[in-house]
Amino acid sequence: MAAPVPWACCAVLAAAAAVVYTQKHSPQETPHVQFERLGSDVTLPCGIANWDAAVTWRVNGTDLAPDLLNGSQLVLHGLELGHSGLYACFHRDSWHLHHQVLLHVGLPPREPVLNCRSNTYPKGFYCSWHLPTPTYIPNTFNVTVLHGSKIMVCEKDPALKNRCHIRYMHLFSTIKYKVSISVSNALGHNATAITFDEFTIVKPDPPENVVARPVPSNPRRLEVTWQTPSTWPDPESFPLKFFLRYRPLILDQWQHVELSDGTAHTITDAYAGKEYIIQVAAKDNDIGTWSDWSVAAHATPWTEEPRHLTTEAQAPETTTSTTSSLAPPPTTKICDSEELGSGGGPAVPFWITVPVTLALAAAVATASSLLIWSVDLGGGGGAHEGTPIQPHPSQSSACLPRAQHPMWTRHSTCRGAGGRS
Amino acid sequence: MDLRAGDSWGMLACLCTVLWHLPAVPALNRTGDPGPGPSIQKTYDLTRYLEHQLRSLAGTYLNYLGPPFNEPDFNPPRLGADTLPRATVNLEVWQSLNDKLRLTQNYEAYSHLLCYLRALNRQAATAELRRSLAHFCTSLQGLLGSIAGVMAALGYPLPQPLPGTELTWAPGPAHSDFLQKMDDFWLLKELQTWLWRSAKDFNRLKKKMQPPAAAVTLHLEAHGF
Repeated sequence: MAAPVPWACCAVLAAAAAVVYTQKHSPQETPHVQFERLGSDVTLPCGIANWDAAVTWRVNGTDLAPDLLNGSQLVLHGLELGHSGLYACFHRDSWHLHHQVLLHVGLPPREPVLNCRSNTYPKGFYCSWHLPTPTYIPNTFNVTVLHGSKIMVCEKDPALKNRCHIRYMHLFSTIKYKVSISVSNALGHNATAITFDEFTIVKPDPPENVVARPVPSNPRRLEVTWQTPSTWPDPESFPLKFFLRYRPLILDQWQHVELSDGTAHTITDAYAGKEYIIQVAAKDNDIGTWSDWSVAAHATPWTEEPRHLTTEAQAPETTTSTTSSLAPPPTTKICDSEELGSGGGPAVPFWITVPVTLALAAAVATASSLLIWSVDLGGGGGAHEGTPIQPHPSQSSACLPRAQHPMWTRHSTCRGAGGRS
Repeated sequence: MDLRAGDSWGMLACLCTVLWHLPAVPALNRTGDPGPGPSIQKTYDLTRYLEHQLRSLAGTYLNYLGPPFNEPDFNPPRLGADTLPRATVNLEVWQSLNDKLRLTQNYEAYSHLLCYLRALNRQAATAELRRSLAHFCTSLQGLLGSIAGVMAALGYPLPQPLPGTELTWAPGPAHSDFLQKMDDFWLLKELQTWLWRSAKDFNRLKKKMQPPAAAVTLHLEAHGF
């Protein structure tokens, strides 16, 4: 007779505990998620509590001032991004949690930017998209591809979440492709579409592995090599042509060369001793547009090793030009500035030097007491390379105006010695 | 061939079969023949030249047709009523075409297109348009001759029109003006697409026929391209 009484007692206690528990831990434990627009006003009610209930609001654990309250409701004006957070209202005395709201402040999506490109022609193309301004809340995108009336599958990119890939089933189609995208979030919705022909979106990736090297014994040459982009699937049937641009670092003006085939080119008009920046772009021979410029390669043409100074040398005072080497430096020992044209003039023809040498020999022999000239006419030096004249340190060269030396022909010049390039 | 009422292409079918024999096969000097390589290159160059020429011709002609034909995003459905030769082809089929078939398809396509263009020329309203079209037709004629030359060099027979396609030409009811313009639009579009395709066709042929003497690196087409 005594046994059932304690059991019944336990059962009642358990039931009472359950009721109390459900009262204390209401379904509002899991916060209500709410999205509101940036700049708007919002009123958060404290769950189902009466308007005149005494409550305290907290955001992310921090108490909120009572002046934000309208009764038991929290009023927020001019929502800013900083207003996003977990809002909770508590019964003022018992600290019983009535309600929680996870507030996200954001914007509806603006019209997305969509573009498609074929860097793997003829295998397929990809489309990528983005929103011009952020929404600060999650968005979902939906892409559809139509070829005429046929729907094509756009496979999501495994790595990038705003890109998908389409495979060409047919080539050389006269029917345009239409790609539509719609974007939506909790606050709104937007969409756009683009239409294009198969050929107009072809744009290869830039050439890879662009390498520029100096050419030994050639102070004006640079050898450039590169590779067709690895993403281009069939360079045999869909050959690429290339566009090369180069300039010395000190200048702004690019030189351009278009190359219809081959993956190498030798620049032959580089300014000696100047560091160059070189880039290459690619394009299908017949269709589409040029790729972006490749990663830049840097190189400086080969320069001769300077020889050591000897004691008899009287290195003449010559200003070495540190500015652009295009203009002939003002105070050099050049008699004939013709040699220093903008790109370097032609080399002195050999047949001119022979009579000059003979004349010089005669002059020296007959007027040995006069030391006018000491020039080695054997080399061409760097004179016609467009660089400032670097006098050979082992030779003294004093240059007199031509008028005082009628035997000098028009083409003879003072030059530092040095190997003819 | 199915002659549909109001189908202007059908009416021209007879005319086209008559004109089929017009492209003359150039007499090839076989002695010291460098192989088909140079003539393939020439044919490729001609397709590029024609494509360039077509761009200005099409611009002028579409402006003459007026809107919406000259609008850049004009995207009409292809009704399929026309008998134009279609350049579009399944990717794998195109890659596996043998040389003879590749050349034949090009030859047949341009023969038809030339025929339709000549008809277009006859109907063109302005003298300037007629002049441009006539010039283009002459160039297209040259391309056909060039393709024929390549085929002859490789020993392939020129495609002949099928027997039984000779029909008496009876004028049918006139096409509506708009539908006629649609036909013109598709003719120019198909012509442009064929020229792009031919450039690729001849690229493929060029690579396969590198003359052995010149080739320091001999391309062996081991992979099934």
